[in-house]
Amino acid sequence: MVMQAILIGLIGALGKFDYQLGTLYMFRPIVLCPLVGLVLGDVPTGLAIGASLELLFMGSISIGAYVPPDETVGSVLACAFAISLGQGTEAAIALAMPIAVLSLALSNIMNPIFPFFVDLCDTYALKGTMSGIYAVHWGIGIVGGCLKAFILCMGAYMLGVEAVQGILDWIPDFVLNGFGVAANILPAMGFAMLGRLVITPKLVPFYFLGFVIASYMGVPVLGVAIIAIFIGIEKFSLLDGGFAQESVALEGDDDDDF
Amino acid sequence: MTSDTQITQMRDDGGAIAMAKGAPNEPLISKRDLTKMSLNLGSLGMEFSWTYYKQMNIAFALMVAKLLKKIYPDDEQKYNEAVERHLAFFNITVQFAPFVGGVALSMEERIAKGEIDAGSVNDVKAALMGPLSGIGDSIFLATLRVIAAAVGIALCQAGNAFGPIAFLLIYNIPGFWVRIWGAHKGYELGVGFLEQATKNGLMEKVLTAISIVGVMVVGAMSVSMFWATLPVEIGVGDNMTTLQEILDGIMPGILGLAAFWIYYWLLSKKVSPNWLIIWTMVIGVVGAFFGFLA
Repeated sequence: MVMQAILIGLIGALGKFDYQLGTLYMFRPIVLCPLVGLVLGDVPTGLAIGASLELLFMGSISIGAYVPPDETVGSVLACAFAISLGQGTEAAIALAMPIAVLSLALSNIMNPIFPFFVDLCDTYALKGTMSGIYAVHWGIGIVGGCLKAFILCMGAYMLGVEAVQGILDWIPDFVLNGFGVAANILPAMGFAMLGRLVITPKLVPFYFLGFVIASYMGVPVLGVAIIAIFIGIEKFSLLDGGFAQESVALEGDDDDDF
Repeated sequence: MTSDTQITQMRDDGGAIAMAKGAPNEPLISKRDLTKMSLNLGSLGMEFSWTYYKQMNIAFALMVAKLLKKIYPDDEQKYNEAVERHLAFFNITVQFAPFVGGVALSMEERIAKGEIDAGSVNDVKAALMGPLSGIGDSIFLATLRVIAAAVGIALCQAGNAFGPIAFLLIYNIPGFWVRIWGAHKGYELGVGFLEQATKNGLMEKVLTAISIVGVMVVGAMSVSMFWATLPVEIGVGDNMTTLQEILDGIMPGILGLAAFWIYYWLLSKKVSPNWLIIWTMVIGVVGAFFGFLA
């Protein structure tokens, strides 16, 4: 039990350490929940929960001023509780969002101490002590990310299993089912948030084009994306400028001028 | 910006060969240096030391610090000032950070020669953040991540443990290519590129073309990523059907479409996403209780 709790904590810490590895998106439920399943000896449930929670947190990305709930801690703990208690995806879904919100609230308590250390870096730079800047970089990442996730995931898992069992027993079935329904609706909110990022009035027809191709013709998302790339290239005649593909378009215009 | 254009032109036309053999403009920073920079601790750790306050500033300074030493090898004072300069507020789609690093280094070389004012490098960085984050978020968050998740989720639901790996590979392979390519291009093109791309409208065109892909992917995902159903029964006996079946007969995924635009409208009215989550849970519970949602 203690060993498992430590490993659950380490999975949470790994999720936060992903931000040092190049933001690979390893901190997402689709990656972490199967790992939790591995630790608790139930990979198939881990995979199923990972898929469901990935959808639930689809919109949980920082866009603009919005800081999303902490999907890393939320999904690691929800998945660990659900598997330990022999519950399925529904329980994980019911638990994930409240835990994620609590974890975000804890981060917000820690945040005010960081600006002091960020300003310290300026002093280090002018003194030429690069090691000081490295220390602040590691300090903020480890303390504000990895360590916090480790303690939260390990501590809550050790202390919480029975309490969570009690809560799940106490909540009526229709409420759990309702949370499940909400989890099946919330991905739409995630896509609406992405939509706010990319849709402009003149691009609205392309939303419906993508929708209709997928809806009536049953083309998978990757296929729609490929069709869209051709439309984008063709609409702006990106092939006529002497460059072969969209991705090199940025460098291409020098060649025209000289 | 004639001098920019000249420098860009020289680098483009001449390449390393013309500038080698002790020419005064021999590039201080090699391609290998730039590749290393695009994969160093600062570049990969852009969001590790992220704070609300100055966001990615520490990681950006760490990313360029080693190569700044090459630009100011002997002048401790100027090197320290340059590092401090790059501790200014910074935020971008992480995969584009090395590109901005490349641009910043090409400008630092000219600052070292006294050709341009030291403050201008941060103005240019600030000017790049908006447009590049717009392009970057459209490519990586709205399109690539969604495609990677769609593939990964489908595999996971089938019980295939390759799902998470497929998700990571699809999302990251293009990302790392953009990092390395960006570091080289940013350094090579310098600041002139931005003005040219903006001036001749290329930036706008590319941004719109990329947005079309993002918008169509979001549209396509609206069909399949709404799983709640309306099991309300209509009619009697053999004619009985559910509201869900009727809607699917008219247009598959119509509920996803409706939910998308309701959320879109509420978000545009500045309703907080966290409230929307809470209200959705309330509606889910009420719907499950009365049996009109499942």
